[in-house]
Amino acid sequence: MDLVTKIIVICAVSALAVFTLWRTRAKDATAPQQLPYLGGGTPDTHAWQRYHVRYYSMTLLFIAFEMEMMFMYPWAVVFVEEGGKAMMEMGMFLAILSIGIVYAWREGVFRWQ
Amino acid sequence: MAVSALKRWAGKAPAPVFVAIGEGMRERVERLFADPRLERAATPRHAAIFLIAGPMRLEDREDLRRIHDQMPHPRATLLWAAEVGEALGDAETLTATLRPADASRADEAALDRLTRIWAELSNGERPSEPDLLHDEPPNPWQGIGPHGQGGKGMMGGTPYGRPMAMTADDLRDGLALDPYTARFGPFLPMFPPGLLLEMTLQGDVIQSAKVLRPPLPQAAGNDASAALLRLARLLDLLGLPVLGHRARLAAAGNRSSSAVEMLSRAIRWSGSTLAIPPGLGAVEGQGDLRTRFHDLLAVAGGSSAETRPELPESAHLSSLLPGLEWSEAMLVLNSLDDATLAALAVIKDDEDKNGHDHEGGGHMHHEHHGHGGHQGDGGHEHHAGHGGGA
Repeated sequence: MDLVTKIIVICAVSALAVFTLWRTRAKDATAPQQLPYLGGGTPDTHAWQRYHVRYYSMTLLFIAFEMEMMFMYPWAVVFVEEGGKAMMEMGMFLAILSIGIVYAWREGVFRWQ
Repeated sequence: MAVSALKRWAGKAPAPVFVAIGEGMRERVERLFADPRLERAATPRHAAIFLIAGPMRLEDREDLRRIHDQMPHPRATLLWAAEVGEALGDAETLTATLRPADASRADEAALDRLTRIWAELSNGERPSEPDLLHDEPPNPWQGIGPHGQGGKGMMGGTPYGRPMAMTADDLRDGLALDPYTARFGPFLPMFPPGLLLEMTLQGDVIQSAKVLRPPLPQAAGNDASAALLRLARLLDLLGLPVLGHRARLAAAGNRSSSAVEMLSRAIRWSGSTLAIPPGLGAVEGQGDLRTRFHDLLAVAGGSSAETRPELPESAHLSSLLPGLEWSEAMLVLNSLDDATLAALAVIKDDEDKNGHDHEGGGHMHHEHHGHGGHQGDGGHEHHAGHGGGA
């Protein structure tokens, strides 16, 4: 099969799949069904809105520490071969990561509330 | 062939029922759902049968119609000793039967009728019920705005018929994000039946609460069986549905002292009291949620209820709930006995000065208003018929 045939077959199959999905989709929700379920009550506004993810600062901290450890295990192997050069490189990497940790510290992440 | 076998098989599954509990029917409904042939759906979206049990208030009818329309097809409604006029169209009715003399027996008539409706629905013999409300967004929006999206810019307009949220300060730290104001209830499964609260939330923290309709009065029960049912509700909310089910079974039948003793030991060992934050839902002179939980365990075990001083005048849900997370607030609501809850959930008129009236024979009609100003009054449904048939 040459390339053109392959493209045509892929397009035809995708079109068929999209058409089948479209045919078998659930009937469009009516206005009452579009409401969030509130036990009969109604909302004033959209549920599409911004709220604060309270665990956000913890996730930042987790990533900072976890990334550090993730790279330090393979680095330990390389360090045996490379010596001082690897030490320098890891120092640079840790310095960059520690900026994040210092920032989190300033934001009060370590004060558990 | 294969399809009809599947249909028969589906009909043998537990019937998914969403129930709206009316006056005095709560315990009876909870006993009914201890039966394995029924499954109590958490939302109408998971249900095929809408059970309306017991008499309803006039102003609840509009909410019942909305719940009905939120159910997917095929669906059916059963009115069990319910007085709702023509609000639910020509739904099937089951007249009031006396409570079975033997408390351990569920209401066989209701059980039979529900399972039969479910079998008929799943094999296609019974046609699905049509919508009762008009399929219209709460506000006109289509074709408005430069792209027909319902408004201009980020915050303006009413896309999909509802305004976008504006910002307000969070109780916790003053962070200005979007508040969510809605009327919760009157038939939210984790709410006491009939209670309608207008609450403003930021994330899952309640910023303000206002009672719009008090809970429907239930049969006063202060015996061990009522305590077990209340305990079961709390255990369900605490994420211990197996213990909750055991408590419900104990409430229905086996209340021998050894069985209840084993159950209360299992509850103590589950650490559920530790999962309740200390000081949560404390009312002056009444203790906090842990106190109420221990009281319930004691009453379920057969000792008499401890007498507590009168509720202070100032105690009210509107001061008890703000600042709590949703899960905590639900625990607080379900920990209160009916009399205390009724006293805490009286309607306060003095704070209803903000111009819009959500109450009294359904919601206000906002026929058509322009694309611009909508804050505060844009969020209501408007329907053609109130109370009548479809």
